[in-house]
Formats: sequence, C-alpha cells, structure tokens
Amino acid sequence: MTTTLDTTTTPTGGPGGAPRGSVVGRVRDAFRRNTTLVNIVGLLVAIVLLYLYLMFNAVGFFTVANQSGLLRDAALIGVAATGMTLVIIAGEIDVSTGPAVALSSVIVAVAMTQWGLPALVAILITLVVGAGWGALAGLLRARFLVPSFIATLGLWSVLRGLGQFSTDALPVPLPLDEPIMPFLAGSVLGIPTPAVVMIVAFLVFAYVARKTAFGRSVFAVGGNAAAARLAGIKVKRVRVVLFAITGLLGALSGVLLAARLGSGNAGAANGLEFDVIAAVVIGGTAMSGGRGSLIGTFLGVIFITLIGNGLVLLGVDSFLQSVVRGVIIVLAVLLNVTLSRKRGSMEES
Amino acid sequence: MSESTDPVPPPSLDPELERDAPIAEARGVSQVYPGVTALDDVDFSVRAGEVRALLGQNGAGKSTLIRLLSGVETPSGGEVLLGGVPLGSGGVAAAAAAGVATCYQELSLVPGVTVAENLALGRWPRGRFGIDGRAMVERARATFERLGADIDVHAEVAGLTLAQQQIVEIGRALQDDPRLLILDEPTSALAAAEVDLVLDTVKRLAAQGVAVLYVSHRMDEIRQIADTATVMRNGKIVETVSIAGSDTAHIIELMIGADPEERGVATRPVTSGEVLLSVTDLDVGPKLRGVSFEGRAGEVLGIAGLLGSGRTELLQAIAGFRPLTAGTLAIAGSVVERPTASRMLSLGVGMTPEDRKGRGVIPGLGIDENIVMSDFGRVTRGGALSSGAIGTATRALAERLSIKAHDLSRPISTLSGGNQQKAVIARWLHADSRVLLLDEPTRGVDVEAKAQIYEIMRAVADTGKLVVFVSSEIEELPLACDRVLVLRDGGLREEFRAPDISLPVLLQASMVSS
Repeated sequence: MTTTLDTTTTPTGGPGGAPRGSVVGRVRDAFRRNTTLVNIVGLLVAIVLLYLYLMFNAVGFFTVANQSGLLRDAALIGVAATGMTLVIIAGEIDVSTGPAVALSSVIVAVAMTQWGLPALVAILITLVVGAGWGALAGLLRARFLVPSFIATLGLWSVLRGLGQFSTDALPVPLPLDEPIMPFLAGSVLGIPTPAVVMIVAFLVFAYVARKTAFGRSVFAVGGNAAAARLAGIKVKRVRVVLFAITGLLGALSGVLLAARLGSGNAGAANGLEFDVIAAVVIGGTAMSGGRGSLIGTFLGVIFITLIGNGLVLLGVDSFLQSVVRGVIIVLAVLLNVTLSRKRGSMEES
Repeated sequence: MSESTDPVPPPSLDPELERDAPIAEARGVSQVYPGVTALDDVDFSVRAGEVRALLGQNGAGKSTLIRLLSGVETPSGGEVLLGGVPLGSGGVAAAAAAGVATCYQELSLVPGVTVAENLALGRWPRGRFGIDGRAMVERARATFERLGADIDVHAEVAGLTLAQQQIVEIGRALQDDPRLLILDEPTSALAAAEVDLVLDTVKRLAAQGVAVLYVSHRMDEIRQIADTATVMRNGKIVETVSIAGSDTAHIIELMIGADPEERGVATRPVTSGEVLLSVTDLDVGPKLRGVSFEGRAGEVLGIAGLLGSGRTELLQAIAGFRPLTAGTLAIAGSVVERPTASRMLSLGVGMTPEDRKGRGVIPGLGIDENIVMSDFGRVTRGGALSSGAIGTATRALAERLSIKAHDLSRPISTLSGGNQQKAVIARWLHADSRVLLLDEPTRGVDVEAKAQIYEIMRAVADTGKLVVFVSSEIEELPLACDRVLVLRDGGLREEFRAPDISLPVLLQASMVSS
C-alpha cells in the first residue's frame, strides 16, 4: 500500500480526529468529506441569523405581504440561477440574464397585445426564442471558441438594445381580459406562483445535475474538459445545451416578470445577472468549474434576497444599499473559499 | 561558496589554454531525492568547442545532471564547477552568469510576439523613450547571423515552423553569450526533414568555441554532430566514448548493462484471432508516412520509438482525435469512412492519454464517476443514473484491476498514480471497448503497479480484445508484448514477435537507421 492510499482511505485520519463511530467523529467526518455540506450548513446558519435579526429589528419584515414579496423577488433570481449553476459548474459564464429577461417580457407582451396570440402560444414562442439565442451564444463558445464571457456580453448588449429599440423604451401592457398571466402573477395555495416555478426548477435541475448523464457530463467538462473529451463526452453539445438552458430560463423569468408587472419592460431586470451569479457563487459553486450544487445556489438566492429586502426595510440609503450588498457578497464568497480551501488541504495532507 | 556576484572569468584568455580547461565540471556529485538516488558520485566535464552527446535510458540520471549543471538544483554531495569556479548554491542566475544556457524540451517562447521581442524578453534594450525597438531588431539579426539561420526577426513566433522555433529558442539562449549550451532532446518535436536546420546550427556554434551538451537518442544525429558520447545508467556514468571509435551496438550495451531479470507476463505470438484493427498507408500530419499494420484479438501489441517518433500521434489518429492526412482505418474488417472521435468510440476504440493528470482524470469527481463516464448509458435505469448500477459496475472493475480504494465515491485525486491509471483503463473496460490504446500507461507509477498493469493488459487481451501499448521505457515492451512495432524516421520500420523481442534489438531498431 502506498502512503497516498493510507491517508486517504482512513476516514477519520489526521491529527485530532475523533474516534471512528462516535457521533462527533461521524459528523466531523461528513464535513471533511463534503465541501458542499460545509457550505450548506454555513449558509443555513447565516440565513437563520439574518432572518431572526430582521424579524426583530426590521419593521414590516415578518408580514404576509413582505414574505410573499420576498418569495417573488427570490423567484426572479432563482429561476435563472438554476441554469447558471450548471453553466458555472461547466467552467463557463452567462452575463446576458438581465437583458434576456427584459426582452422576453417584451416579446410575450407584444405577442399577446399586438399579434393577438393566446397566452400559452405567446409564452411558448418566448421560451423557444430565448432558448434560441442562448443556443447561439453556446454555439459561439463551443464551435467558434469565443470565450463565453464575451459571447454573452455581446448578447447582453444586443438583447438590451433590441428591447429598447422595438418599444421605444416604453412598457408594453398586457391585455386585461386574459386568465393565464394573472394566474402566473398570483398564488397557488398561498404561495406565489413564481416561487412555485422556482422550486420546481430547483428540483428539476438538482435531479438533472446529480442523476442524469448530461448533468454528470457538465461536472466532467468543468473539471477537466480535455479529459472529458478523451473519455468520449460530447463537450461541444454539452456547452450548446447549457446556454440554451440559460436562455430558456431567462425567457421563463421574463414571462413571470411580465405577469407580475402587467407589462413587458425593456428596461427591467437591470443588473439581474450580477445577483444571479453572486447567488451561485455564494452557494459554493466554483468559478473555475467542476464543483457546485443546486441546494447551495438555492440558499444563495435566499441569502441575497434577504439582504436586499432587509436593507430596504431597515431604511438604509438606497445608494448605500449597493455598497453594503457588495461588501456582504464578497465576504460571503471569501468565507466560502476559505472553508473549502481548508478542507482541500486536509485531503492532501 | 560562490555568489551570483562572482566575476565570470573573462572569455579572452589564451585560446590554447582555454581549449583544455573544462568549461563545466562535476566532481563526485550525488543527488538524492526521497527514496531515490538519482545521481551517484558522478564525475563529468566538458570542454570548449566540444559537442558531447548524453545518452541513457529513462531514469539513468541525464535530467538530474543537466539540472545540476544549469543550477536548477544543488547537489546533495560533491560540487559543480563552471569555468573552474564552484557554483555552490548560486542557482540558475549564477550558472547563467558563468556561461551555462539550457534549452529544455518544451519551448518557452511567447507565441504572440515577434522573434526579436522573444530574444529580448526581460532584457529589453532601453532607449531614450522606453524600449529601443531598433536595437532590439539589430541584436536579434546579429544573433541569427551568428547562427547562420535565416529567420525573419519581425515574424510572429506562432507563425514559424517548430524547427524555426527551436532555432529561436537556441538564439535566445545565446543572448547571454554562453560557453556551455545544453540542448535537451532539441529535435524530438521535429519532423525528419527539419532536423538538419538544428544540427547545422549546433555545428556552427561548436566551431565558434561553444561547448554543447546534446541529449538525444537518435544515433544518426549524434554521429553527425558529436565527438564523444557520455553514457549513463542507474545514476552513474558508465563510460565516455569517442563516437568515431564505437559502434552503436557497443553504445547500446553500455546503456543497458547486465540486464537484471525482470518479472514479465507470458507472451506469445498471436496469429489466429480476428483482425480487430487494420491500418493501411496512414499519413498523420508531418510526422508519420505510410504506416500499415494489423492488430488481432487477444494480442498485446507494443509500439516502440524514441521521443517524437510519432507514437502518440499514431494512437490519437486511430482514436479519431487527430485527422488522417491519408490512408484508411478498419475496425473488425469494416473500413471507417470518416474517423471522428465519437465514431471510433462507438466502434469500440478507447484511448488512455499519456498525460494522465492533465487529460486523463477529472480530479474532483469520484473514482466511480471517472470510470462510468465513458458510457453513462450502461448505468442508466429508466432515464436516470442509478447509483446501484454504478456501484455494481465499478466495484467489479475495481476488483478486476485491483484498484485499491475503500470507497469508490471518493475523488479520484485521492488515489496513487498507479491506481488512477488503472481507473482510467477501467473506463474503457466499462465501455467494453474492443481496441484499447494505452499511451504510456506506466509513466510515473511504482514498480508494483507497473507489473499489475502488464498483467491487466494480458488479462484484457485474453478476453478477446486488442491492447496497443505505447511506452517510452523500451525495456518494458519485451516484458508485456506479443509483438512490437518500431517507429523511426516518420514511419513503421521494423516488427518483432515474441519470443524474439529483446531490449537490445528494440533499442537498436529505434535509434539507428538501417
């Protein structure tokens, strides 16, 4: 047996390791083996503390209206964050989320109001178009080796411009006598519909990430693209599909946003991509690819949404809010990176 | 102890005297790494204007000797003298100041900038307004004039041929006006036709009084340029011979020594199995021309050849990762019209890459996942990956290949090199590939794991598959192969069948044009 083998196959090895079998030992063991667990527990604690603090200090925080608003805010970030998690795990990035959501809200509104299409058809068209421009960015990355940051930055500009050009930057109202959009803006069993959509999206993508060949290929491509290719994984296809997914989810968020606002807005969702990316990274997904989890992202979304909501309720100056938010996000990521690095070095020792 | 500030002996001493004094000398140097003695009490010296070949098998100590002479490492025993002055622990800077320049195998040029700028990197000539572009160009021109090489100093390095890039690398080494130039396999990346450019350059430098230490195993090249050859084995210098006075068989004998009996596996000529792989008149890029061979079910087929002989290119072409310039591939009798990677994969061709760390494993993923990723379909139940099926499949493979791991879901990076390699091989057993192409599967693994890998190859072949085994450690091939093909001078030159495969004949065939 080699020494490498010895240290790595002894589950509770290392200095200070509690005896195998004891509860403490098992918990410590689980933490050591699983970075994701460290992130998740850490985030959960942070969220609970934040929640309790706001409950007792922020006037109007613990009201039905605010809680429901929180969930709607979370959904706007969360739906897009599911796909973004996979994109970042694959070692890529998509910065086009904000404009994609805005333009989608315009498309669905225009399709219903100006083209007179039924809501379901309009929604379907919007989703297909969104997946289409996502796939285009993916193709640029996979086939023509344009870095995904640049490809989606270009898309960002094109989509924002298209939306404002086609609407003169004016809201496009939805038709009033129509049942589906109000349903999307409403609630199911007391839970806002967008939040239900978000939860479904997280469940679906957690399943995809863990239990499907596509999901595992995403991890492989992000962990070592050259090795994945040599192992027979179709790297290009994985990349194109990934960006098609983020495009589709952006469009879905756009539809939900249009329903909530009652109109399509080319200027909406400004800077949304930053919240989405921050949520994913706070959730423990590595920007370098190969590592991450949907549950982490979910908690990241809740964390970010709570901070945004709390700062408003605490009456922090709106310009200062950005500063505080920025600092908190960077600190959260820093903590996360430090925790996982500590774990990594234990493994190598 | 010498410091990097020590004065360099002026180059303009009495020329006669200088010719006799060694430019670089190692006195009784030893270098011990944890668990290995890489160099054992070695005496070595080289004089001005001399071209010295350095020969020896992998692990003989060539690289260690080079690293000591160029100051990358400090010997654990003995001392290195440059121009008669001890180098001590002065490091690379002191060695460079004393006139040692080294070109390593991997080119270290910046591809996106011009030749002139590459020569000036880090020592840009300063003018009144920042970098003096004209002086930079002039200096580069003068360098290539000295080398007698026709290279456009305004050209971007990325646009040059590999041989030209190698000359630029040598040109850069000359910027410090070295008295000893160490070239580590400078022609290994070059196609046969380009080699002369480098050899001419070396001859010209030697004529100007620069000592050249030339690491290579291509006897034809060595005979063209070197006066003497130092042969190393097991961390010692066996002998320094005059090239003119020794035939190649003698040099090979010195390299091998008394062959210790190594444990191999039972090999035998295979003539009856189905022809699984058939390669006809294959051309691959500039490296390989007219390669034809067949491989049969049940066979372990070795491919021998020096560094740069096109071994890896051949395997990559067969696996569909490198376009064929000409020729055809047939798997189990049917010709593959457009061999792409996914096509070859579906036909049952699997390749393990030579760079295990960089291109073989996905370090953060589990051992099990690294195995099943070649074919997720086999462990999918009802549209989803089944952890039960993954566990069953990978446990069976781990047992079959004796992968030592208590928990297969642990990251593969927690395994030793040998066990990682076995997992990468297991990947293709999982995909049930019929043709396994193993590029350097034993690189960087311990002796026990090596023997296990030979056994695995044998056992896999015995289940009716073809195993193609590439190794730069030629001495491995007789231990494991039923048949060995030798690549040399851009093509397949010779073939040996068990039991007539031995190290001397393989080395001879790899090193010398017949």
